[in-house]
Amino acid sequence: MPLDNIVFWVFAPISIASAIGMLLVRNAVHAALFLIVNFFCLAVFYLLLDAPFLFAVQIVVYAGAIMVLFLFVIMLLGVDSGVPIHERLLVQRPLAFLLGAAFVVEMFLAIRAGVGFATKAPAVFTANEGGNTQAVAKILFTQYFFPFEVTSVLLLVAAIAAMVLAHRKARTVTQAEIDAAAGEPDTEEMPVYGAEAAP
Amino acid sequence: MLIDYLPIVVMAVLAGVFAVGSLMASSMLRPNRPNPVKLSAYECGNDPVRLPSGERFSVKFYLVAMLFIIFDIETIFLFPWAVSFRSLGLFGLVEMAVFIGLVFVAYVYIWRKGGFDWSAGEIAPNEADEVVERERALFTRSEQEVAKPPDVNEWQGAGRAG
Amino acid sequence: MTGIDWVLLVGRVILVFVALLISVLLYIWMERKVIADFQTRTGPMRAGPRGVLVTFADGLKLFFKESISPTNADRPVYLLAPIIATIPAFLAFSVIPFGAPVVIFGRTVPLQLADLNIGVLWVLAMTSIGVYAVVLAGWSSGSNYPLLGAVRSTAQMVSYEVAMSLALVAVIMFSGHLKMSEIVAQQDKVWNVIPQFPAFVVYLICALAEVNRPPFDLAEAESELVAGFHTEYSGIRFALFYLGEYVNTVTVSAIAVTLFLGGWRGWWPFHGAAAWLGPVLWFVLKVTAVIYVYILVRGTLPRMRYDRLMNFGWKYLIPFGLFWVLATGAIVVLPDRYGHRRGAFMAVGIIVAVWLVMSLVKQLLESPRPAPASREGLAT
Repeated sequence: MPLDNIVFWVFAPISIASAIGMLLVRNAVHAALFLIVNFFCLAVFYLLLDAPFLFAVQIVVYAGAIMVLFLFVIMLLGVDSGVPIHERLLVQRPLAFLLGAAFVVEMFLAIRAGVGFATKAPAVFTANEGGNTQAVAKILFTQYFFPFEVTSVLLLVAAIAAMVLAHRKARTVTQAEIDAAAGEPDTEEMPVYGAEAAP
Repeated sequence: MLIDYLPIVVMAVLAGVFAVGSLMASSMLRPNRPNPVKLSAYECGNDPVRLPSGERFSVKFYLVAMLFIIFDIETIFLFPWAVSFRSLGLFGLVEMAVFIGLVFVAYVYIWRKGGFDWSAGEIAPNEADEVVERERALFTRSEQEVAKPPDVNEWQGAGRAG
Repeated sequence: MTGIDWVLLVGRVILVFVALLISVLLYIWMERKVIADFQTRTGPMRAGPRGVLVTFADGLKLFFKESISPTNADRPVYLLAPIIATIPAFLAFSVIPFGAPVVIFGRTVPLQLADLNIGVLWVLAMTSIGVYAVVLAGWSSGSNYPLLGAVRSTAQMVSYEVAMSLALVAVIMFSGHLKMSEIVAQQDKVWNVIPQFPAFVVYLICALAEVNRPPFDLAEAESELVAGFHTEYSGIRFALFYLGEYVNTVTVSAIAVTLFLGGWRGWWPFHGAAAWLGPVLWFVLKVTAVIYVYILVRGTLPRMRYDRLMNFGWKYLIPFGLFWVLATGAIVVLPDRYGHRRGAFMAVGIIVAVWLVMSLVKQLLESPRPAPASREGLAT
């Protein structure tokens, strides 16, 4: 069996299992971890398809950057807020089914049109002469230079959106608020540690 | 091609075996005498208090994570350009200058809006003096109030009023 | 692949692994000795001659210590975090050439585990995986200090990762390759540190921040956060974090050597049988020199304040990195009509590098602005 096939059959079950695991686990951080495993398997598949540059990008950007943001949000927003998730997602459920079905159809059509159920696109080997990264550069910066430039506009919009959403302007604290805060003693009790636990 | 990665796989297995093996070997050899006090989270001797759930952290951290993604994607685009910008010549340079320039506009925007400012807590620099004055007034007034015999509950309340 | 190929491959991997472990033992000892010298102490003296075995003894002690899992901890993730801290640290080193190719059993064996086409990107990928160890350790401990420490160090690591990538991009532009062996080969006349001096400075600073070493060890600012993300780890689990951190330090130093200081290149008088030894010795010597600089920095500079750390990363290093990338591009690509290219390179580079170092020192030493009286003032 050629090496490609061995690697594929090792990682394909892992990627499917991790995807299912991500859907089934209750804890949001565990789900994110499964998603990272899945991204990693996807990166290995890029490698199998002779695209080592995409392999690196997949790990750096998806597994590295985007999942860090995910974990930040999950960690810091307090997952243990107590509201059952299915009560908040009434509209989303039918919508998810619809989009999922659409996605399956789209995948089918794209694969059918793209490779016609062949296992490998033959052009990859000739395109990759002189290195995959160089090949990506050659196409990206000449033939597709306009989409490339538009990407920077996309990043610009994303940065502005992040600022608008996340950045709160410094708020001036009024004297009344300070008085109110200073005047009311905090009623929460601070227990003394170890009083009853000591042997 | 794929065979190039074989040593890395071997190294990953070796490092993994080392890490897991030392964890397991240690768990067999070391003493294990837990008690509730030992197992409680470290809190300088107090009973552990969980941070209140909900919004626990400065929103700056989210902002940093999001800005990181934006700039990370930008640098990832730089890598293929870096290996082949000689053959792309002046066209490639101008192309990348436009790209970096556009992202730099975002950078300037964020800077002007104070997205990179970590100083002085949440207080804008121009308001700092005002806040100092107000705090000072508060401090002197409370000193007189605190002059009465200290009550532990109130003492804590005043200290944690922020 | 025949049997002998397998033996050579596995042998090389084991060699590198053991060498990394030993180098960590020795570098920790060296660090303690050098810091002790700065502070007119003797440092460790008991275990072995001049205390050289002290790290080994510490490791052995940690191995036999009780490991505490806090009741609030999320156990699977809690145990996973030290493993994640260890593996990428070793993997990142795998792409670094540590000597000239040697001939064994009639085969030319490169002294490098894997010469990947994406060399430098592989290092970045492993760095970004390494962040997870911190995040997961902090979250899974179920305790406040680790969570705060993890959030802090993650924000720090990702901020400096961007600037580090920019420094790496500048080097790659200059040498035109992502492959580590090619980058070393390209430095046969002039080391990259001379034309790419500003990138070197940026890289050294970012590498310090990336591995959480002083003066950027905000995560373990013990007066604020106890021990940061690994507060709740003890025994062998803590030892794995510590090991990962020091392997990372060795790795970032080795990357600095490979990309900027000519890799394993150096003068060596012998040919024939002993010829392979020279490059390896040079490599070890250069890595030790970089680590020594890191220890010097640790012994000299005070820990940075968090707001200044983030300020410095985002307001100085990143725009400067972008500027330097474009400057490198312009100097290389624009027509060199008067033959001043190299001079322009060095002049621009040195000016901005000096500016950068000055601004770092300013961030570190500037006396603080009068801060608003804190609310805690009420209590005292």
